[in-house]
Amino acid sequence: MSEPDVVSSEPATKRRGRRLKGGPLQTRRTEFEDTLARTASARGAEAGASLPRASLWGDAFHRFMKNKASVVAAVAFLALLAFVIIVPFVSSEDPYALDFSQAYLSPSWDHPFGTDQFGRDLFIRTALGGRVSFAIGFAATFTIMVVGIVYGATAGFLGGHVDNALMRFLDALYGLPYLPFAIMTLAVFGTVNFWTMVVALTIASWFTTARVMRGQIITLKQNDYVRAAYAAGAKGPRVLYRHLLMNTLGVIIVFVFLELPGVILGEAFLSFLGLGINPPKASWGTLAQDGYTAYQAHPYIIVIPSLCIAWLILSAFFIADGLRDALDPRTKEA
Amino acid sequence: MLAFIIRRIVWTIPVILLVILMTFLMMRLIKGNPFQVTDRPVPPSIQRNLDRKFHLDKPWWEQYLYYVRDVGRFDLGPSLVQRNQDVNDVIKEHFPTSIKLGLMAMGFAIVIGVPLGVFAALRHNTVLDYTAMGLANLGFAVPSFLVATLLIYFFALRLKDYTGLPTNGWNGPSSWVLPVIALGIYPMTYFARLVRGTVLETLQQDYIRTAKAKGLRWRFVVGKHVLRNSLIPVVTAAGPVLGGLITGSFIVETIFGIPGIGRYYVTAVTGRDYSVVMGITVLLSVIIIVANLVVDILYGYLDPRIRDERA
Repeated sequence: MSEPDVVSSEPATKRRGRRLKGGPLQTRRTEFEDTLARTASARGAEAGASLPRASLWGDAFHRFMKNKASVVAAVAFLALLAFVIIVPFVSSEDPYALDFSQAYLSPSWDHPFGTDQFGRDLFIRTALGGRVSFAIGFAATFTIMVVGIVYGATAGFLGGHVDNALMRFLDALYGLPYLPFAIMTLAVFGTVNFWTMVVALTIASWFTTARVMRGQIITLKQNDYVRAAYAAGAKGPRVLYRHLLMNTLGVIIVFVFLELPGVILGEAFLSFLGLGINPPKASWGTLAQDGYTAYQAHPYIIVIPSLCIAWLILSAFFIADGLRDALDPRTKEA
Repeated sequence: MLAFIIRRIVWTIPVILLVILMTFLMMRLIKGNPFQVTDRPVPPSIQRNLDRKFHLDKPWWEQYLYYVRDVGRFDLGPSLVQRNQDVNDVIKEHFPTSIKLGLMAMGFAIVIGVPLGVFAALRHNTVLDYTAMGLANLGFAVPSFLVATLLIYFFALRLKDYTGLPTNGWNGPSSWVLPVIALGIYPMTYFARLVRGTVLETLQQDYIRTAKAKGLRWRFVVGKHVLRNSLIPVVTAAGPVLGGLITGSFIVETIFGIPGIGRYYVTAVTGRDYSVVMGITVLLSVIIIVANLVVDILYGYLDPRIRDERA
């Protein structure tokens, strides 16, 4: 609303001229006065009551809830997570019991996803596989974030030669094919278990996070409140933590949802190539590989774990999208 | 411009040296004796000779320099498992297939993806837009092993009588169709979304409104002003995507039984043929580095602002 400015900055004659023509300006003016009055009365009404405190996270939550696609995605994501966590508790099936008379049953009430070549129930195995995929995914995302944040924040905060050296190194690594390096890492360890998998997935995946973090820190560093904090006697570490890192939390949360699907997909690829964690444990990738060996006769077996991965990727993507808009309103307005 | 290109090319050399160093160090960390083929330990005298032959008796940095020297001569050393083969032979045998597959998938992705994105943007918020973007999102999310398997199941098994496509192999155009689609769908969705975004952005520019206000025909405005300006990001994205396609076809090559570099890489890792693993990793990294280099130069050529800033 720039109405009052327009009115006051115009010469009086011109104003009168327009008013004679009547119409738009006049009505708009009254509208504006109305709004003003309403706001004033609203303020008055609530003057005694305590105003609801507007916090960053509260605002972000409201903005997120307005984005329908993201809300649906969030529900879908939580539903998948709930499926993965709850089903193994309530199911009476033994996920590891072998019974060849029950092999390759089609989906039914007893076995909603059917059974595999050993007669194991795929409903519970999909849930358990999801646990493995999610666990590796969250752990690897966490390490990626930690490495990326430490690296990027160090470069951005210290600046100068340190920044230059770190960024040149990052430039060199940037765009390296992550699958060969993940495979090599697994070869270096010699075994594939939870933690070696996490390291393998982290090793060539943290570059983007580091780059973005550095950019964020450098932008934030130029804010007046950072200079003010220094002037007030704050030391470097406190400024870094309180004024810089805390202000990147929004970006970090968005990145968690951007990295998670990539990491889970990477794990699935490795498992599919036979480089996953050892049986009888399984991830969605291992299940998909089992399904692939039998796709000619029983195509649905590979479809189920693959669709779980697709479900996760899509929901995480739309959550990230909604979070980005919710946590950084500037991007939306611009 | 020339100074920019030279600077950019010279800077690639330390990058490649660093990547070779990383690969080299990782390979050294792997345990086990590559010369020990059976359970019997290798006799000490033979071991000493082998060590001398492969410079393994030298300190690690000297070994690294030997390796860099060999890479500089385009010699990636002998295979440890295939006694009569060099890594170069392996690459010569398998790499052309991967390049071909990657280029064709790239072509598929651009030919389908770019128009899809343009139409979605021009018909913004219509059924066409939603359908196109729904498909793009689906193709973005579904893992390639499912796409590949379903393509084989439907087009090479169920509909074999109509399509006549083989389930696997790499002999003749009919065996190329399914792998190219399977590999190309992901970059296709990527291009579709990218182009839709840039076209939407371009449509809001002042010069588009000016062109319209001048009374230019809409078709001309789209062809001359909108497309030209929104396709620059496609050029920049194309390099890394192509690099990713040539180097990242592990899954598709494995499923379709294509004798490319990705499938051989997986075999080499499980067979502990480390010199092959190292050679291929270095090669793939160099390809991606060069792809990034080409894109940077192209970008500088297309967008003078970048060139002036960096040079």
